[in-house]
Amino acid sequence: MDKFTIELIVANRYGVLNRITGLYARRGYNIDSLNVNETADPNFSRMLIVSKGDAAIQTQMVRQLSKLYDVKEVTLMSAVNFSK
Amino acid sequence: MKKSGAQIIIEQLCAHGADTVFGYPGSAVLPLYDELYKNAHRINHIITAHEQGAAHAADGYARASGRTGVVITTSGPGATNIVTGIANAYLDSVPMVAITGNVDVPLLGKDSFQEVDIVGITQPVVKHNFVVRDIHELEFTLHEAFRIANSGRRGPVLVDIPKNIQTETCEYMKMKPASVEMPKKNFDLQQAVAAIQASKRPYIYAGGGVVASGAGAELLEFSRRISAPVGLSMMGMTALPASYEWNLGMCGMHGAYAASLVQAESDLVIALGVRFSDRATGDTDAYEKDRTILHIDIDLSEIDKNVASQISICGDIKQVLRALLDILPKCDRKAWTDYVSGFKKSQALPHSNDFSPKNIIETTSRFCNDDTVIATDVGQHQMWTVLYYPFAKPRTLLTSGGLGTMGFGLGAAIGGCIANSKKRTILFTSDGSFGMNLNELATAVTQKLPITIIILNNGALGMVRQWQTMFYEKRYSQTTLYRKTDFAALAKAFGAAGYTAHTLSELEFALHNAPENGPAVIECPIDIDEKVFPMIPPGGCVEDIVIS
Repeated sequence: MDKFTIELIVANRYGVLNRITGLYARRGYNIDSLNVNETADPNFSRMLIVSKGDAAIQTQMVRQLSKLYDVKEVTLMSAVNFSK
Repeated sequence: MKKSGAQIIIEQLCAHGADTVFGYPGSAVLPLYDELYKNAHRINHIITAHEQGAAHAADGYARASGRTGVVITTSGPGATNIVTGIANAYLDSVPMVAITGNVDVPLLGKDSFQEVDIVGITQPVVKHNFVVRDIHELEFTLHEAFRIANSGRRGPVLVDIPKNIQTETCEYMKMKPASVEMPKKNFDLQQAVAAIQASKRPYIYAGGGVVASGAGAELLEFSRRISAPVGLSMMGMTALPASYEWNLGMCGMHGAYAASLVQAESDLVIALGVRFSDRATGDTDAYEKDRTILHIDIDLSEIDKNVASQISICGDIKQVLRALLDILPKCDRKAWTDYVSGFKKSQALPHSNDFSPKNIIETTSRFCNDDTVIATDVGQHQMWTVLYYPFAKPRTLLTSGGLGTMGFGLGAAIGGCIANSKKRTILFTSDGSFGMNLNELATAVTQKLPITIIILNNGALGMVRQWQTMFYEKRYSQTTLYRKTDFAALAKAFGAAGYTAHTLSELEFALHNAPENGPAVIECPIDIDEKVFPMIPPGGCVEDIVIS
């Protein structure tokens, strides 16, 4: 299955990480890598989440994440070819 | 003007038109209940027998009225008792605001008495939830709760409010309700119009989204305009009158034969406000095969989730249908509509006077009018109600579709009856489902609600028994109840009227004599092996349909 990376801009407050990872867990998708940082604006954090799934799963995750109240932006990152 | 947290809750409830709320007091909501006492002239609080009943009542109130249902409980067990009710509202996209008390903020996270993390517990079954840890956030949070519950695809929102927040004070800003109107969009309809015009055998599959957006009239016109028959999901049962000639009834596992067969014959499925539940589609490969799927829904995440569509439009059903009706020419498909009408007629069952579920429901329907609200519990009686009751107007069916919650019915009937100006309300239930939350009979008696409760008593958990008969070689594991409950006597013990009917004329007598100012229970013993047919076995398709 294809690896894919989703970038999120989320509200920087308690419980938000739990809501995001809970969504992955409920749909049965393992998180391979997770990175969270506060942005220059302390009201928001940026998350980078790497997991595996085909195109349908990727689309579904983007749409499900977009519905969360604390999620402000969702970007499906284009694949990076590391072999070069 | 400074107000306490409890006063701010009252003001925001009133600002959002929540003049009727359902709940149960307790330690962590004492300040709020003190304000409810002082504001009894502004907010009618209905005390139920159990918090779950309050949540189902708020749900039933919302389904029947289209307004937001509000439920209030205390912390800990009060909060956990409404989790089923919240999940039920979530699965059926019912707007609800649940307010729970909690221990004082300094006591949070210390396993204090009656403390649970209700925000953590309910997270997977709400649109969003909040803990209010600062009084200055309370007004905006409540305002947001109502906005979220009512915007886009509707659903429940929970607000957890610690007790000290209810007594602290801050400035009240008088926030007005946010507009939840869908912004006007220009839909890209080109592909949809082309597919509809190219289709020889179009079929509309309409669901709860049609009812939620109030698009019944548009659906009827759309169906006539493009000459397409309509199959309904259970959530969409009241989207069209049963009497409409091209309304084929419910589709899916226990749906009408006509709805399943016509879907299988179609070359285009126009799905309106549905999420293609497994119970409605069966085998999705067979469902999608040899036909175009045009999916229209307000929730983008439903598009291509369960069934892959070739064409999709994301938007409010009413808006999309109006836009389509603006440009679609009249299209007659005589061969197709003749086939559908003829097929529907040939499916009419012969008349009998048996004391069968069908005749019990049809007899009851003669004591109802187009506005009568019908609630159900979950199981065989629910399917029979949907198959045989002639629904005429939107929001007249309160039934647990997605979660399939046994015990939903009585609470929902209470909420629906109150929403419908305490007019005669019917609950079709069964011995199994009724046994789960019958304590709410006390609420219906106290509130003087004319709810007629028809118990189809087969002495078993009928739907599970049916599956055991068909798929487990009649090993009736834990589904034969052997209970000796005298339901008529039970009703009288609660202060309700109680009847037992063994014939249609006895049922008519009971329906005729049911009081105007309180509930009546009518027990109708039926055969233990009554089954719901037709049935498409789970994961099957129309070729697998079992007729009897």
